[in-house]
Amino acid sequence: MKRRSFVRLAGALGCSLALAGVVAGCSNTTTTAEGSAAAGSDTGSAAAQQVELQVFAANSLEKAMPEVEDLYTEKTGVTFADTQYRGSGDLVEQMTAGAQVDVLITASSGTMDDAVEGSLVDESTRTNMFVNDLVIVAAQDSDVQINSLEDVANVEGNIAIGEPGAVPAGRYANQSLASVGLYSSDTGQDGAYADSIASRVNQAQSVGNAAQYVASGDCTIGFVYSSDVYRYDGLKVVYTVPADSHSAIVYPGAVSANSENPDVAADFIDFCMNDEDALAIWAEYGFELSEE
Amino acid sequence: MSNSPTYIARNGSDLRTGSLPVRSAWQRRWLPVAVVLLFAVLFVVAGPVKAWAVDEGQQTTEDSAVNDEAGFGLNAFVRNNAGTARSVDGADIGYRYPLQDDANLVVLNIPETADAQGTGYVLVHVDADAAEAAGLDLHDTGDTDALRALIEELDRTHSKGGAVLADLAEREWVFTTDDAFVIGPYCFRFSVEKAGGRYTSIVPADLPEGAEPRDQAELLGLDLGGASQWCSNATLVPSADVSTEAAPGVWDNLARFFSSLDYRPFWVSLKTSVLALAITFVLGLFAAWKTMGTSSRLKGVLDSVFTIPMVLPPTVCGFLLMLLFGRATPTGQWLISLGIDLVFTWPAAVISAVVVSFPLMYRTALGAFEGLDRSMLDAARTLGWSERYIFRRLMLPLAWPSIAAGTVLAFARAMGEFGCTLFFAGNYVGVTQTIPIAIYFQWMGGNTDVALFWVIVVILFCFLVVLFINVYTARSQRYRARGITRRSRRRGRAADQASPATDTASADTVRLDQEALRALLAMPADVVDEKQVGAGARGENGRSGGDRPGAGGMGGEA
Repeated sequence: MKRRSFVRLAGALGCSLALAGVVAGCSNTTTTAEGSAAAGSDTGSAAAQQVELQVFAANSLEKAMPEVEDLYTEKTGVTFADTQYRGSGDLVEQMTAGAQVDVLITASSGTMDDAVEGSLVDESTRTNMFVNDLVIVAAQDSDVQINSLEDVANVEGNIAIGEPGAVPAGRYANQSLASVGLYSSDTGQDGAYADSIASRVNQAQSVGNAAQYVASGDCTIGFVYSSDVYRYDGLKVVYTVPADSHSAIVYPGAVSANSENPDVAADFIDFCMNDEDALAIWAEYGFELSEE
Repeated sequence: MSNSPTYIARNGSDLRTGSLPVRSAWQRRWLPVAVVLLFAVLFVVAGPVKAWAVDEGQQTTEDSAVNDEAGFGLNAFVRNNAGTARSVDGADIGYRYPLQDDANLVVLNIPETADAQGTGYVLVHVDADAAEAAGLDLHDTGDTDALRALIEELDRTHSKGGAVLADLAEREWVFTTDDAFVIGPYCFRFSVEKAGGRYTSIVPADLPEGAEPRDQAELLGLDLGGASQWCSNATLVPSADVSTEAAPGVWDNLARFFSSLDYRPFWVSLKTSVLALAITFVLGLFAAWKTMGTSSRLKGVLDSVFTIPMVLPPTVCGFLLMLLFGRATPTGQWLISLGIDLVFTWPAAVISAVVVSFPLMYRTALGAFEGLDRSMLDAARTLGWSERYIFRRLMLPLAWPSIAAGTVLAFARAMGEFGCTLFFAGNYVGVTQTIPIAIYFQWMGGNTDVALFWVIVVILFCFLVVLFINVYTARSQRYRARGITRRSRRRGRAADQASPATDTASADTVRLDQEALRALLAMPADVVDEKQVGAGARGENGRSGGDRPGAGGMGGEA
């Protein structure tokens, strides 16, 4: 009796595992079908090299980067794993936790410094890719008027600012607020907001979240990049934060230290910077390539 | 927690009646109505998100606009919201915007800060030959107004949510066919060819021979990028050459929406939660069974350990899993050296779902097992059944309604898992991005319609799952319903005062269990009842429950 019930138990276990296997198998076949369809549309070179790059890019690149990646795939046959677009600080944390990455693009020198310190990227490949502006946005139909940073304290309603630890845009915003005494730390981190705004600051986990809070009306104003206006509907720039009130906004890119295809990864960074068609995409989404 | 039959008779029955398949006609009618209502509400909610443009016949393509009266139109309109001061192939050509190969029209939006005048300009450059071919006369205000209207229309549809020219009414519109144009300290060169590409470039107006534009701008304190807010380019063509397409109808828009969707989150969710459920189901039942048999002190400890993921915030579970398996900790390093590298992989998503759904399965199963009549289990033991056989043939079938409910809860929890998965498995589309994570990231990425689609899918899917489990449970428990109705009919004849409703409500576990037990053992009713009474003698509540006139299963039968 015991033996028989054990056999049945094992059988039940096996069945449930097999069921899961079938389900997994189904979804696998769908993905491979998609994959081969995509590969089929590529020409020639696709067969020669089957390299897949994993890109970790600053959240603000979420709309423009996929188009550039598609362009690169079209031209070279190199494909891309699902690119991660999170706050730059999160991306570095995710790499520290062991994520496999080929290319890292962050939205501040500080976060890239962290990655270099943690030996997560190959420092010799580090290059500044984009520059950006910090702006204050409001919903399209809002009548908020902001003529200086001091006006931020007088705005009614909530203020969306990226969480400074993970979101470089939040740190830049805090630096500029610190310049008018609305934040206690000049570094833009580990400080406190002035009492006049402290209870109204909604800390977003990415610059896109901050933009979305404003676009959906949950926050009256938000500190985002000028390029974010072009990826969210219903936002307008009400004030461009003076560039001298915060550290320069640059997007450094580098090849990851654990990349299995460092040459391809470096080539992709170069492509982003120097290809004429890639430039057309960046320009459309409001990203300005850095000078050198 | 009490094992006494009285407890079961009082509370166990309440639990059971909830899952009894006694469906009124009202319920049967109500169900389809609810489904239709749900669909209607969702459709109304989903409706306004997408603009369902209904147009008849031909229309210009997305990047084109035409004015048939003026006789010309624009093709391949592109608006560049930023340019770059980066050198082309080592050569400095100032601040440049990319230009398409066959573009013959350039529009620059020049802010008031760029010149002393203070109104700003919209500078439109048209290639002289193209203007002639398209029949555009820049000295004719009718033509330039028509061109301006076309540009404003396309600028609006290509603004990607940014500011639009149409709102900048104070700008002065300037039309030119010259290759370069000077406004204030800036010189705009409309078509500069360099290293195989074409650009519109901005250089200082005061640029000595051989000087580099960027160096000169720095010398003069000019911000070349600030001389233009955005720059568009397009191809001017006679109206006959403007590209058109068949106007998409509602169904085309729908088809485009559904074909552009990425359905992978559904498959990931499904396979993650099904596998997680299979694991949870087995582990949960096993844990509940084994916990039930242990001493009370150990049971307290086990119970706490098994239940704690339910009360902990999922992010805490995620954090702990990250500490356990992550690269940053010694345990993680050790596991990775053994080849167990789970962080940000699909197995991590499954583990997250198992961790958070396990307590639900475990708690409901344990509750159901403890709700069973101890004396009945003892009776089975007197028959020489092994513990395993009792578990499989007695406990599982009898506790099935509760277990099924627990399974549904565990599945829903696994399907809805967000915090722990995001923490431990990340957000990789097609690998670990489940529907809840997709909803969050699509919403935050501004794709409200996609987020809404997934919300609807989740609602419908969960509705179907719950419906399926309910129907299935009802089916598998039908024998009980038959027993009750037969019995109540019989009793209804015998004693008029007991209505069927009260009978159902008072149908306590003891009697139900005996019904089932009888069916399982395939023994004559009186034999089991005798054994039952004998076994239940140590707790006389069993007898008193059975002797109660309203619930009198045994008395009536024996």
